[in-house]
Amino acid sequence: MANQRLCREHYRLAFRTERFPDVAPGQFVHLGADSGPRTACVCSNGDLSESGHPGPDALTVPLLRRAFSVAGVTREDETALVDVIYRVVGTATRWMETLRSGDRLSVLGPLGNGFPIHDDKSVAWLVAGGVGLPPMLWLASRLQQVGQAAIAFCGARTADLLPLTVEGGVEALRDARRATDTCREFSEVGAKVVLSTDDGTLGYAGHVGAAMQTYHEANPIAADDVVVYTCGPQRMIQFVAAFCEARGIECYACLERAMACGTGLCQSCVVAVQDGTDAEGWSYRLCCTDGPVFRANDVVW
Amino acid sequence: MTNAPSDIDLSVDLAGLVLANPIMTASGTSGYGPEHGELIDLTRLGAFVTKAVSPQPRKGNKPQRIVETPGGMLNAIGLANLGLDRFVEEKIPFWESKGVPVIVNVIGHTVDDYRTVCQRLDPIDCIAGLELNVSCPNVSDGLEFGTDPDRLRRLVDAVRPDVKRAKLIVKLSPNVTNVTELAAAAIDAGADILSAINTLRGMAINVDTWKPILANRTGGLSGPAIKPVALTMVNQVYNQVARDAGVPIIGMGGVSTWRDAVEFFLAGATAIAVGTALFVDPRTPLFICDGLTDYLRNRNLTSIRDLIGRLE
Repeated sequence: MANQRLCREHYRLAFRTERFPDVAPGQFVHLGADSGPRTACVCSNGDLSESGHPGPDALTVPLLRRAFSVAGVTREDETALVDVIYRVVGTATRWMETLRSGDRLSVLGPLGNGFPIHDDKSVAWLVAGGVGLPPMLWLASRLQQVGQAAIAFCGARTADLLPLTVEGGVEALRDARRATDTCREFSEVGAKVVLSTDDGTLGYAGHVGAAMQTYHEANPIAADDVVVYTCGPQRMIQFVAAFCEARGIECYACLERAMACGTGLCQSCVVAVQDGTDAEGWSYRLCCTDGPVFRANDVVW
Repeated sequence: MTNAPSDIDLSVDLAGLVLANPIMTASGTSGYGPEHGELIDLTRLGAFVTKAVSPQPRKGNKPQRIVETPGGMLNAIGLANLGLDRFVEEKIPFWESKGVPVIVNVIGHTVDDYRTVCQRLDPIDCIAGLELNVSCPNVSDGLEFGTDPDRLRRLVDAVRPDVKRAKLIVKLSPNVTNVTELAAAAIDAGADILSAINTLRGMAINVDTWKPILANRTGGLSGPAIKPVALTMVNQVYNQVARDAGVPIIGMGGVSTWRDAVEFFLAGATAIAVGTALFVDPRTPLFICDGLTDYLRNRNLTSIRDLIGRLE
C-alpha cells in the first residue's frame, strides 16, 4: 500500500492484492474500510477521531464503499499492484488519504464493464476531464498492447489540478492543433497528448472538449477511422457525445453515479438509456452492473 | 465459513414458517435474488425478502437516489420495480428450485393494488410470505397506510382473505408517534408476523447549492445510525402487543454484526433482517450466522430461541 500526492487535490493509492482478476479499462474497484461496518460507525463502537475533538468530522471512516476506476495494474507473481487515482472531496477520500504502507483496506472488484476495444479504427481518442483521467491511463496502456494509436485529450480547471507529469516546452502545449509527447504517463505507453486548462495556466486555454474540437478541425479524420472514449464531468461528456453524434463517430462514455453497493443490489446508480422497452422509449440501467461504460449516444442526457 | 454444527440450533418458527436460521435480507437491499445470488450462496439464508413489487412497473425516482450520512445512508429509490407480471415470469423460476423461503415485499397506492399483488402471488409455492410495505403515500390524500391505525387496519383487513397460504407480514413504519398502536392494528386485522422497522424519513442538504442532495428531496435513513431507534421500537412492540398476541417480529434496522443481531433477539425479535450492511459486504448474513453460533456455544446455549425477548 502506498499513497502518493500527484497534484493539489489528487492522490494515487496503490494497493497490493492476491488473485486479482484481469481488469478491463473502465472497470472499477469498490473500496472500503477493512473491517467494514464494524469500525465505520461512531455510535456502535465509540471510536471517535484521534484529535479528541468530536464533531461533524469525527466520523473519519466511511460506512459505504466508494467506487474508483482502475488506473493501472502491475502484476508480480501471484500478486497485483492496483492503482487508483482519487481527488480528496469528502469523508471517504479524506480517510483514504490517511492510508499508509502496511494498512489494509477492503476491495470488492473488479466490477462493471470496461470500454470495448475497436482496434479496427486507426486511432482512439481518449477525452478526459478532471477525475475522468484514471481509466484513460489504463486504457492507453491496453491500446498500446493491441497496437492501436491513441491521443489523450486531458483537461483540468487549472494547472495544479492536472495529476500528470508534464515535460518539455510549455508554450508549444498551448496549441491544441498538435498532439505532443510531453506527458510522461501517456508517452510511456505510446500515446500523444493534448492538454487543456479552463484558466489557461497549462496547455490550451479552454475546456477539453473545445481542445478536441480544435484538434479535429486541424486534423480532419473520417468518422469510421476513429473511436472516442470519454470520462469526466457530465457536461464535458455531453459535449463530447454530441460532437461525436453529429459526426457519426463511435463514442463510449464511462459514467459516475452515487452508488451504495456497486453490485446491482441497491438500485441507486441509475442512468437513463434509450431503448424500445416502453412507450416512453427509455429505461433506467444501473451504472454499476450495466455500465459504467455506455455507448454515449444511447444515454438520455 | 461452515454451516452451523449440529450442536447449535439456529432454526426459528415464524408463525408456523420454520427457518433454518433466523437471518434474512431486508427488502430493497438485495434485488429479486439473481443479483445477490451472483455474490453468495442464497441457500445459506434463513429467508430472502425481495425488493418491492407493485401491480405495474415503476421506474423509480430520478438520481441522485442515495447519500451517505454519519453512520448510515439516505435512499430514495422510489420503489423502482419491474411490476407484477414480469416478476412472476422472470423471477419466480429462479426461486422454484432453490429451497429458500421467499418473502415478497408488496407495495401499492390503493387497497386494490395490494390485493392484486397478493391474490396473484399467494398461490405460488415458493413464496413463503407476503410483506406489506405500508410506507408509500396514498395517492388519494397523500397519507400513508402505515402511519394511521384505522387506515392500516382497513388495508390488512382487506388483504387478509387474499393471503391463504403464505404468511401475511406487515412492515411497520417508524415515522409515527406510537408504533405500538400500528402494531396492534395490524395484529387485530390478522397479520401473522410483524417486521420492524422501515427507514426513518430524513434529508441531507448541499450547502453550496442550497438544494436537497436527493432528487426526491427526502429519503429513508438506514444503517447503524438507526439501530437504537429500531431496538426501542422492537422492544416496545414485543412487550406491549406482540408477545401476548403470539405474533413474531422480524427485527431490522442497522444490523451489521452478530452483536447487533443478539441485541434484536433480546429485545424481542424472532428473526433478523440485514439491509444496508449488504451494500458494504453482501456476505454479512453468513458472517452473522457464524457469529451467533459461536456466541451461543460460548454461553452454553443450544438454541437461538433461548435469546428471544430475554431483555431484563
